[in-house]
Amino acid sequence: MEVVIASSPVDAGIGCWDLHSGAEQLRYRSCTSTPHGLACVGQRFLASSQLRDSSSSSGSILYWSWSKPQVEVKSFPAEPIHPLVSNSDGMYIIGGGSSGAIYFWEVASGRLLKRWHAHYRAVTCLFLSDDESLLVSGAEDGCIRVWSLFMVFDDIGMEMAKNPYEYSFSEHTLRVTDMVSGYGGCNAIIVSASEDRTCKVWSLSRGKLLRSIDFPSIIEAVALDPGEHVFYAGARDGKIYIASINAETTSSNSYGKHIIGTLSDNSKGVTCLAFSKDGILLVSGSEDGTIRVWDAKTHNIVRIYRLAKGPVNNVLVVRRPLYSNRQTSENSHSSFSRRHAPLLPPPLGKYVNSTDENVDSGAVSVPQTPSSDIMDAPYLSYHVLTKQISELQQQSSAATGMEVDRLNLDCKRSVEIVQKWKEMFAYLHKFCVDELLGNDQTQTQ
Amino acid sequence: MARSKPSSSKKQPKRGVDFKKIKRKIGRKLPPPKNATNTEIKSKAIILPEQSVASERAGLAVSKKGLTLKELLQQTSHHNAKVRRDALTGIRDLVLKYPAELTLHKLAIIEKLRERISDEDKVVRETLYQLLKLVIFPALKKDVPGSLISLMMAYIFNGMTHLATDIRLMAFKFFDLVVQHYPSSFFMYAEKVLQNYEDILRKNHIYLQDRSKLKNALVGLVRCLSLLPCNRRTVDPSYGKNTETQGSLHAYELEVPKEHTDFSSIIKRLEDILPILVNCFQDFIPLVHPMSSLDAQSFDCMLYLLRSIDLSVKFFLYGIDKHQTDFGVTKPTYNEKDMPVWGEIATPVFLRKFLEVFPLNQLHNTSGKDEDKFFILNIEITEIFLHSNEWIFTSAILMERFLEFIENLLSGKIRFNSRSGKALQEKHLTSLLPFIPRLVSLVANTWKSRLLQAFTMAFKDCKPESTLNLAFLSAIEEMLLPSKRQGILLLDASEPEILDHQITWIRELPVLLVRLGDTLSSLSKVILHLLLRLGQYAPMNSSLAWEYDIMQHTLGEFYSMCLDDGSILYGPFMKLPKDCQELSVCCLYYFSSLDSLLLRSLVYCCLCDNLEPSVLFRIIDVLHSAYKIGHLQLVDLISFFVTLVARWKVLPGRLYTHVENAKKISNRETFKAITGAVCSCLRQMGDDALIFQIVQRVILDEIPLNPPIDNLCGMLRLLVILDSRPTKLSEQSIIILSNSISEYLIDAASYIPENGDEVTDSNQISICQYYLVPCFFLFDRSDKLLNLVLDLMGSSIGEDNSSLACNHDTQHTLDLSSRIVAVVSILLYMHQDIKIRRRLSSCKGEITRILQKMRLQSSNEMGNTLEERHKIQFSFDRLKIAAGQLNCWDADELKIISLFE
Repeated sequence: MEVVIASSPVDAGIGCWDLHSGAEQLRYRSCTSTPHGLACVGQRFLASSQLRDSSSSSGSILYWSWSKPQVEVKSFPAEPIHPLVSNSDGMYIIGGGSSGAIYFWEVASGRLLKRWHAHYRAVTCLFLSDDESLLVSGAEDGCIRVWSLFMVFDDIGMEMAKNPYEYSFSEHTLRVTDMVSGYGGCNAIIVSASEDRTCKVWSLSRGKLLRSIDFPSIIEAVALDPGEHVFYAGARDGKIYIASINAETTSSNSYGKHIIGTLSDNSKGVTCLAFSKDGILLVSGSEDGTIRVWDAKTHNIVRIYRLAKGPVNNVLVVRRPLYSNRQTSENSHSSFSRRHAPLLPPPLGKYVNSTDENVDSGAVSVPQTPSSDIMDAPYLSYHVLTKQISELQQQSSAATGMEVDRLNLDCKRSVEIVQKWKEMFAYLHKFCVDELLGNDQTQTQ
Repeated sequence: MARSKPSSSKKQPKRGVDFKKIKRKIGRKLPPPKNATNTEIKSKAIILPEQSVASERAGLAVSKKGLTLKELLQQTSHHNAKVRRDALTGIRDLVLKYPAELTLHKLAIIEKLRERISDEDKVVRETLYQLLKLVIFPALKKDVPGSLISLMMAYIFNGMTHLATDIRLMAFKFFDLVVQHYPSSFFMYAEKVLQNYEDILRKNHIYLQDRSKLKNALVGLVRCLSLLPCNRRTVDPSYGKNTETQGSLHAYELEVPKEHTDFSSIIKRLEDILPILVNCFQDFIPLVHPMSSLDAQSFDCMLYLLRSIDLSVKFFLYGIDKHQTDFGVTKPTYNEKDMPVWGEIATPVFLRKFLEVFPLNQLHNTSGKDEDKFFILNIEITEIFLHSNEWIFTSAILMERFLEFIENLLSGKIRFNSRSGKALQEKHLTSLLPFIPRLVSLVANTWKSRLLQAFTMAFKDCKPESTLNLAFLSAIEEMLLPSKRQGILLLDASEPEILDHQITWIRELPVLLVRLGDTLSSLSKVILHLLLRLGQYAPMNSSLAWEYDIMQHTLGEFYSMCLDDGSILYGPFMKLPKDCQELSVCCLYYFSSLDSLLLRSLVYCCLCDNLEPSVLFRIIDVLHSAYKIGHLQLVDLISFFVTLVARWKVLPGRLYTHVENAKKISNRETFKAITGAVCSCLRQMGDDALIFQIVQRVILDEIPLNPPIDNLCGMLRLLVILDSRPTKLSEQSIIILSNSISEYLIDAASYIPENGDEVTDSNQISICQYYLVPCFFLFDRSDKLLNLVLDLMGSSIGEDNSSLACNHDTQHTLDLSSRIVAVVSILLYMHQDIKIRRRLSSCKGEITRILQKMRLQSSNEMGNTLEERHKIQFSFDRLKIAAGQLNCWDADELKIISLFE
């Protein structure tokens, strides 16, 4: 079931609607999310980083399971986390802090695997490339950096390399508001929007700016057409501009160069955009608290959802596993199923724990496909794996011993056979010689 | 056998018939054979009737001496040198006179001329050189067939290996000429040419006598070497370049093979040539010391030798760098030893030996000219040293000597004596400054502080219009901010001394910016970019960030300044081009708390007519963004917005009257757009109620100043946007508002179309609505306001207009009758609106009073002309009808009113 989830910086909860039927699902309570701070972790549960008043030094990240409206797990990282992103199978959560640091957590154990200083100012948006090898981060100072996840965890390599990141783009002069990447992993293009009223298209393979497009207003959100012909830019003036990537634009029209049209509904500013999986429906969240679903082909509004009075700042289109739907219905009338509710992972760690960083403590979580029975499937721990490995090793050593024995036996047998053949040959030879000599003797006689 | 005999006897008589023997007598002449060809040639002398050249060659291109191109070309290979020379000058004349001849016969000309490259006669060669340089190459510049060059090159190489030294040196000069015009030709023949240079320099002692020749050859070498690629230190390429205007990004790109030259052969040659250059230079050194003065020729030779050394060192460095960057990303640098580093083995030894000669000094005789020369040479050597610094381990003593020299240079202890010295010094300093950051980061601490001291002093002393500033700024950027390539800081800002210097630089920047004015916008742009980078990259809560915040006090002057007498002095911001303005606006975003003083000077800029609207919108955008991340106080931002709306000058003038008022129309549209932008910002700020309170307070401060109608309208719009129903306006503010609204409505009434039923100018209707709609919203939300306003309107009719006129804007002062008309039209217009009609019905008392006042005025005979009275009467009737439609008067009341009639 494809659902639209949306959250708001004011406490309106996380709204959830079926994209195709339009029916509202459960509303998850008490969420004041940061921009780009809503993530669906491996289709298993929802996570959102929370806005906090500037006085508190620590941030907070909340988890909701699909089936319950209440917050299930609360974690308090060392500093406020702004953007939050998870990889597709939900093994890791990556968050960008207000000091410019990026946090990398393992979901299953909640351990903070890595924290590194990425930017000079607060991180505003994060995303993973579609092969999940590159992490792209944008910051308040307009800087965009591309990180290779291999390099980030390679401490020696980091020291050797000139700079820890792959690329650092600093052409934006103001805050980066949103970024989106095309297909093709490390060969993709990325589109970034900034408060300096421009969108810029970058090439990840060549590491350079391909195009810079000036817009008449500040662009808050971008979404890329699946064919990568155009991208949609949601502006603060309430319009969604369509800018061409692949078409030749000869003359500049009323909006500016490369901008070929708009989707407009006379609404307040557009804050977030998302494409459905089929690439036809474009979902936009607005300052006025509504979520509009557009048909990108016909430029018409298909549906309007209403989340809150305040602005919407996150919209996601995710696939929600069907079992949880069944569960909610069960949940409502039977206390029995409550016991079977999917266990959410422990809260996220605050600091990188270097003390217990020995070999044994490393845990490996195995991602589960959502169709498998999630309720009873525990995570396989590292211990189990090491045991299996050692077993395998033992098995193999025994097997080789047996093999050697068998070969020895074979060898012995072969030697015996050779011996036999040799005897036979000698006998035959003798026989032949005798025969010949005998014949000669008879002839001469 | 028997048969054969008769046959032989028969044949005998026949023989005589076949070959008749002719008997001839000796001594007699034979008759000619019948088929003989007559070889006799008969000829007559051709006598031309006239020999005059001029008349015959009338249509042909000829030189001054009347010779055609063909003849001239033939004469170039004449055995007499004088004739050859004359022919060359003749060609020159001819080509200058008839340029078409050259393009037609270029191949023939070159083919013939090249033979003269190795001419024995010096004058001929010189003439040829001048001919090629001044006439032929410039003319052929556009179409350069490679064949032409190769035609020439064969003979040039021939000349280079000629036995006569004169010819050899001249050949280099010719080659220099070719390279000068067709730089790419060097790479085609690089190996061979360098080989020839090597040969000639090896035997330098032969030519030492004739330095001018050697100099010529060296000039050529310098030119060739400067074509080699090297690491160019540009100021900052990232913001200079613009993205290519590529139509579609995913389109198939045609891979254009880049002009690739194989440098390996050049490297090998250069490796050979470098020691020879060094030797050659050292040959000159003994000449320097004993002699009292250095003659110009040998000075030039030395200079060019140094330049060529410098260029080849640069080229080697480029090679090393290229290797590192090629593999830098994929391969860490640990396998450096495996790489075939260019010129790695041979060069350092020579260079070390060579650098030992530094500094060249002449202690005894210090005539001004000579000192300058030594100074220049020293600078050149220093440059080589700094280039090679990265891969030569130098002894500490030598290092000291160089550092001292650099320090002296920066601090200006060494100066040029001659008049042109200032410019020269700047030029040389520009070439040295890019090395300072690296040098400072590498040397020991004592030197670090001395160098920085000198650097800071020099930067402070530098005049704003000096070209040096650019070099200083890029050096400062490198020392202040983490470098782009490395991502690490060159200098450790935690050391207090370094920090002191950094702070001095930062403080100097806005001062420089203000002093520059709008004279050098490119330099201003660089400074602004540096400021922006500083704002972006300064670590939070560091002293650098703090210093950046402090900078806003001085930066206010950049925008505008309020003088003591109240007039405003606009800073350079207003005059700079748009990209600079945008950059400076972006800088505002990074101040961690924007000062209200800076905001004030910004407001003055915004209110100036000359500011482009797009920049104004950018300012609004950026300030709003700055507020969002907490860099700006809410109250400050709101008062900024309200001031902007309240004071922005809308040019007076009716929109629909004249076509030539196009500018004024756009001005009003701009104001509408500003109001819209401010409204949307206010709405996005969050808590509406709180913001409304602040906005209300600020607006009420502004309203008593009697702002023009447009500004008042803008402010009312701000209130309406934030207000809710029922109104949140306080009692007191309603009273203040009602005062100004009643006047405002009367002013706005002039825009109401005369007759609502007729189709009037749609533009006028929309303006009218634009003015009235915010009031209607307020009336709708607050009955009290409506009552008060109607009351005031009524009383304004009744009073003597003279008393009203004094406290009202004179421009809009109306006499009583038009005032009455205006009031009526407003009321009628309100009556048309359904919502307001409902509201109006609740305040019949006020309307009745107005009607009564009108009755009184119309009956008042004195001071009113007949026409006016008629107007009032007409209005009264209209209002009465409307009032009747309100259905709020019962019969008695209507009677009372009619009684007045």
